[in-house]
Amino acid sequence: MNGKTGKRNSLLAAAWILIVLTLAVAGAPEGRAWAGTLNYRLKWIYNASVIGDLYASGKGYFRAAGLEVKVRPGGPERDALRELELGYADFGVASADQVIRAVAKGAPLVVVAQLFQVNPLQWLYRTGKGMIRKLDDLKGRTIGITYGKNDEIIMRTLLAKAGIGRGQVEFYSVRLDYTPFLRGKVDLWPVYANTQAVFLRDKLSRAGEETALFVPGDFGVRFVANSVVTSEKLFKRNPELVKRFVGALLAGWKAALDVKHQKEALAILRQVDRDTPLRILKTQLEITRRLVMPRSGPPLGTIDFEGWRQTERIMLEQGQIKAPVKILSCLKPML
Amino acid sequence: MLPRRIYQFFLIYLLGILVLLSLKYGLQLSDYVIPGPKTLWQTALEVFPRYALDVWNTLQVALIGQVMSIVLALAIGIPGRSTTWFGNFIKAAAYNVQAYPIVAIAPIIFILLGDGFLSRLLIAAMICYFPILLTVLGVMSEPVADVEHFYRCTGRMRWQLEVKIRAFENLHKLTTVIAGSATLAMAGTIVAEFIAANAGIGYSIRIALYQSDLARILVALLLIGICLSVYQGLLEHTGSLVKKAWTGSA
Amino acid sequence: MAAAGRPSSRRACPAERKRSPMRIECRNISYRYHAESEPIFENLSLCYDQPGFHALFGPSGVGKTTLARIICGEIQPAGGSVTTSRTEPILYTYNLERLPDWATTGRHLERVTPDGRAGLRESLVDIFDIRPCLDQRFGGLSLGQQNRVNLLRYLLQDFGFLIMDESLANVDEKTRETIIMHLKELFRDRMIIYISHNLVEVARFCRQIAVLRSVSKQPRIVRVTGQDLRLEGRPDRTALEKTMLEMMNAA
Repeated sequence: MNGKTGKRNSLLAAAWILIVLTLAVAGAPEGRAWAGTLNYRLKWIYNASVIGDLYASGKGYFRAAGLEVKVRPGGPERDALRELELGYADFGVASADQVIRAVAKGAPLVVVAQLFQVNPLQWLYRTGKGMIRKLDDLKGRTIGITYGKNDEIIMRTLLAKAGIGRGQVEFYSVRLDYTPFLRGKVDLWPVYANTQAVFLRDKLSRAGEETALFVPGDFGVRFVANSVVTSEKLFKRNPELVKRFVGALLAGWKAALDVKHQKEALAILRQVDRDTPLRILKTQLEITRRLVMPRSGPPLGTIDFEGWRQTERIMLEQGQIKAPVKILSCLKPML
Repeated sequence: MLPRRIYQFFLIYLLGILVLLSLKYGLQLSDYVIPGPKTLWQTALEVFPRYALDVWNTLQVALIGQVMSIVLALAIGIPGRSTTWFGNFIKAAAYNVQAYPIVAIAPIIFILLGDGFLSRLLIAAMICYFPILLTVLGVMSEPVADVEHFYRCTGRMRWQLEVKIRAFENLHKLTTVIAGSATLAMAGTIVAEFIAANAGIGYSIRIALYQSDLARILVALLLIGICLSVYQGLLEHTGSLVKKAWTGSA
Repeated sequence: MAAAGRPSSRRACPAERKRSPMRIECRNISYRYHAESEPIFENLSLCYDQPGFHALFGPSGVGKTTLARIICGEIQPAGGSVTTSRTEPILYTYNLERLPDWATTGRHLERVTPDGRAGLRESLVDIFDIRPCLDQRFGGLSLGQQNRVNLLRYLLQDFGFLIMDESLANVDEKTRETIIMHLKELFRDRMIIYISHNLVEVARFCRQIAVLRSVSKQPRIVRVTGQDLRLEGRPDRTALEKTMLEMMNAA
């Protein structure tokens, strides 16, 4: 075989692979019907942040609404929004920045409910160096941020708002390992107030250290967190199903956070999180309640339009999106 | 050899992009799931210089890590070639260390060494060294009877000569595995950067993943591929030069 | 030389009584390749009792190489012993050996030449007709050249006994003859055991010929006296034919 023929054969082989792959792909998840089980992809692994989702599933709220729902855990490698578009999930949970970023790239998504009324993403710090009562108090501190994630956007917004420039604070790149914070190398560490913060504070308090949470919302930055999202296609084709799903889900959340059902909720949490002590789980549940159903706040599941508008504006200012996405048009409260 | 490697890489990369694009248009997916050619091009223009520096940074660590792993593999493989208690002990220890997944050991490394250059280097070397060690152990514990016989029966054999003979007789195997392990060194460094680092292309990929930015990841993959092809090509070329110099053959 | 398959039926080494200055003796050697396999040697005894150029002859697969490796100590027999009359090493060389290719053959030969034997090396290089090979690497030589280079480096070493296992394979007949003739002259006081399938050559040049027979035959070893032709000597065709006939009948 001469070189020319070899090359031609290689190209032919490559073309064939491409054709076969394209054909295989063409018949993939496109024609998925919603008659069967609905897949609900969470944002994170099973913990207190998803108690309502687990409760709705475990206590038969979905079934009572005539729905078969499979609640699937999320994680750093999962992207509910991508799965929605690919048809692998029917509903998913994502934070506002994720949704806005996806919409900016043309993802056909609809936000149908907002689970957290107060963003659980906050910063834990030791009070030994003084309380942070105003943004200026951040000066001179080492602040942990996860580059590329929403905590970076929030912190940069806060600093810009206070006019704190480079050199006045130090950033520390955060990972899942808390050692730098526990060893005092970092002053402020980003945490979920209802999960990580609980056991970290418990750990530090047992070591005799007092801690507090720095809450961005207290300084006027309302960055929307976990919300329930579905595809535009499902929303348009079967709004009734979406409504039933959201209704059942929120009913589940409401029941899970009801003090009367605390025992059952904790039992469910215990099933999926055997390693966390019960007293920690209890505290996590209580804090989750305050974040999802604040006492003087709006009803459970309410979409905070102003919060979404602000989130979009912040992302635009921070260069996370290149142009406005009109996110309000994607918000379709199903309450 | 080198241009062919790069050309082959481009062909594979292009094929991959074509598959992704056919998926995109076949399933009418948004740019969020799979970026279109325009987004890809714009992202490439935007991040290319920064990512190129990141890849260069990663390559430097990978290179030092690979050298370290070669030294480590030789240091373990040479005494480990003997069938003595010590040789067997070294082999068992080497296998055991390798049995632990690097993600499980990484936190210990970060606690001990921090999340800087040293951690990246160590993880890269750990991922890269095992195949080299296996080859070195295999090569060094296999006698080349037809060559060694004279030196043994005339009492001239020393361990240095034994190592030299076995290395020489298996030069092709050794150079191939060293060139191949470049991929592992690079992958190891990227993994280390991904788990914990503040620099390198692995770190940039992690950020891109947080933002679900596939376009950036694809640009990063292109740069990693080019860099690796050049690096491997150079290693193979160096290997053939060494072989030529040692064997005197073309 | 004496040889026997069963030590009880034959005296192992008749020359023993003479206290020969050079002797190599195998007594009651037993050996099997694997634990389950049939023994290749069972109480095998063999003795060469004079310096000179001797032979171990026999058809393929009877165990010549194995016996040679037992004699030089590379293989431990299951039973029996090998004794020699001198303390000098027994070297064993075979035709598949190679020199490392990282240097020229000349450089290798220089490096393995003990002090004071450069002259011997130069003489052997000429006798072996390998001077043109010295600038080349071993891998670039023909098989015959390779075998000559390999044998030559053994001859430079300290040895009392040398076993040459097909060491002159692929060497042309004339050169082989020249080499053997000169070896016999240069190493008169040593014992060289030549393993070869070349009936004429063995019969013609070797003194004590041990014909190793197949496992099914008894005795396993038959002794034949060779013509032991030397440089100045002339072959006696009738005697040579007789020796060859004896060897063929024995094998």
